[in-house]
Amino acid sequence: MTDSVSSEAGLGEATRVSEGRSGSILAGRAIFLVAFLALWEGAVAYGFADPAFVSSPTSIVEAFWKLVGEGDLLPNLLTTLIEIAISFVLSVVLGIASALVLDRSDWLNRILSPFLTAFNSMPRIALGPLFILWFGIGMASKVVLAVSLGYFIMLLSTLGGLKNVDRDLLLMSRLFGASELRLFRDVRLPWALPSIFAGLRLTLIYCSAGAVIGEMIAAQSGLGLLVQSFSGRFDVASVMALILVVAFLVMALTALMDLVERQLLEWSKGSTDVPG
Amino acid sequence: MLADANRSRAGAEQRVVDITVEDLSVNFGQTRNALSGVNLNVYQGEFVALIGASGCGKTTLLNVIAGLVPAAGGAVLVRNESPAAGRRDICYILARDALLPWRTVQRNVEYGLEVSGVPRAERERKAIAYIEKVGLRNYRDFYPSRLSQGMRQRASLARAFAVARSVYLMDEPFSALDSQTKLMLHDRLLDLWEMSGATVVFVTHDIGEAITLADRVVVMSKRGTGVADEISIDIPRPRSAEALQADSRYHDLYRRTWTSLKASTE
Repeated sequence: MTDSVSSEAGLGEATRVSEGRSGSILAGRAIFLVAFLALWEGAVAYGFADPAFVSSPTSIVEAFWKLVGEGDLLPNLLTTLIEIAISFVLSVVLGIASALVLDRSDWLNRILSPFLTAFNSMPRIALGPLFILWFGIGMASKVVLAVSLGYFIMLLSTLGGLKNVDRDLLLMSRLFGASELRLFRDVRLPWALPSIFAGLRLTLIYCSAGAVIGEMIAAQSGLGLLVQSFSGRFDVASVMALILVVAFLVMALTALMDLVERQLLEWSKGSTDVPG
Repeated sequence: MLADANRSRAGAEQRVVDITVEDLSVNFGQTRNALSGVNLNVYQGEFVALIGASGCGKTTLLNVIAGLVPAAGGAVLVRNESPAAGRRDICYILARDALLPWRTVQRNVEYGLEVSGVPRAERERKAIAYIEKVGLRNYRDFYPSRLSQGMRQRASLARAFAVARSVYLMDEPFSALDSQTKLMLHDRLLDLWEMSGATVVFVTHDIGEAITLADRVVVMSKRGTGVADEISIDIPRPRSAEALQADSRYHDLYRRTWTSLKASTE
C-alpha cells in the first residue's frame, strides 16, 4: 500500500515537470517563427533573394489583404470548405463502415483486399482529369477526388485498429457472457478509437489536398482555381497567401479534432508502466 | 450413477459434486493427445489447485471446464450442465488482468456486473464494496495504466468476485507478480473466496501458492494422463499467507507436494 502511494506521488511530479516545460516550448516556437520570418524578409530586403521567386512575408500579408478586400477570398474559400466538409464526412462514414464490414467478414476481406490495395496504389491525383471528365467541373469531381484519397486512409486505419484488438480483453468479456454487440461497443470500438483518430487527422489533410488539387485542374470556383490563376500570372505572394489560408484552415480543424480526442482518449494519457 | 460413486468416495459427508471430469481426452491438431483418461471431481465450495510441470495440460483441463476447448472424448459436467464459454454461473480469471484500459478501476469492476445485467445503482454500490475489499478505495478513479501490476490484479479479482458466481476458474492469475505482492494477493483472494462460498479450480506452477490457497492440491502427470497424486491440505482456515511461511505444517506439505511433483515428471 505504502509503495503504491509513493509511486502515485512520483507520477504527479512527472506531470508537473512536463507542464512546466510547455511554457518554454511555446516561447521557443515563437522565437523560431520570428527568426525565420526575419531571415526571409531580410534576405529579400538586402538582395540575397529575388522577391519575384520567393516573395516576402510583408508582401504575402499585403496580398492576403488585397484578396480579402477585393472580395475574391471568401466565396472561393466557401466552395473549398464545402468540398472538404462533404468529402471528409463521406470518407469517414464510408471508411469506418467498410472497415466494420471487413473486420467482421474475413471471407469478404480476403476477396476484396487485392482490389483495395490496387486502387489505393493508383496515383489518384493523376485520375483527377478523368474525374473532371466524368463528374463535370463543379464540386462533384473535387469531392470524388478527395474521397478517393480520404476513404482508403480511413478504411485502413480503422481496420488496423479493429484487427489488433487485445485478445485477452475479448476473451475476458466473452467469458463474463458479453454479447457480440457489447464486445463491439465496449471492447473493439474503444480499442480502435486511437487509430480512428489518427485516421481522421490524415483524412482531413488528404481531403483538403484532394479538393484544392481538383480545383487546380479545372473548376468554376475554389481556392485551387485562384492558386492556378495567380501562378499563371507569377503572383508568388498571392499563391503563398492562399496556400497559408489552406494550411491554417486544416490546422484549425485539426486542433478541433485534438480537443475532441483529448476528451475521448483521456485514459491513454500519462501512461506509465509502474513495475511491481 | 456418477453422483453415487462420488458420494461414496467422499465418505460419510453428503458432498455435492460441482465439477465432474470423467475419462476426458483432448486432442490438439490431428495426432497429439493433449490429455487422455483424465478423471477429477471438485466438490461444491471446494478450492482445488491444479499443479504440474509445464506441458502437463493443467491449463487445457481448466479451459475444457470453462468451455473454451472442446473435449475429444469422455464427459465434463459443471453443475450438471455441459461446459460453455460465457455461462452465467462460471467466472474465469485470466493470467493477465485484462482490465479495459479506457475504464477507471470503478468502471472496470462494474463491467462484469454490467455484462451480467445488474442495474446501475446496484452495480455502483457493489463495485464500491468490492474495491474496498481489495484495498483500492483510493484508486477508484485511476486508469489501469497508472496502477502497479499487483493493484491491477486486485482490481481484476474485485471485478470477478463482484459478480458472485458459483464456480471460479483461475489460470495462474498471480504468476507475473513478485513474491511479496503474491502473498498479499493470496490473502485478498482467500478473503473474497471465503465470503463467496464458491467452488474454485486454480491452476498454478507454484507449490507454495497451491498449499496456501487450496483445500486439495491435484498433481497432474507430465504425460497428460491426468491426476498423478492428490494432497489434502488440512491447514485450518482462515489462513494467513504470511503466517503460513513460518508454519511447520506448511513446510511438511510443501516437501510432500514437491516429492509428488518430482515423481510426476519422471
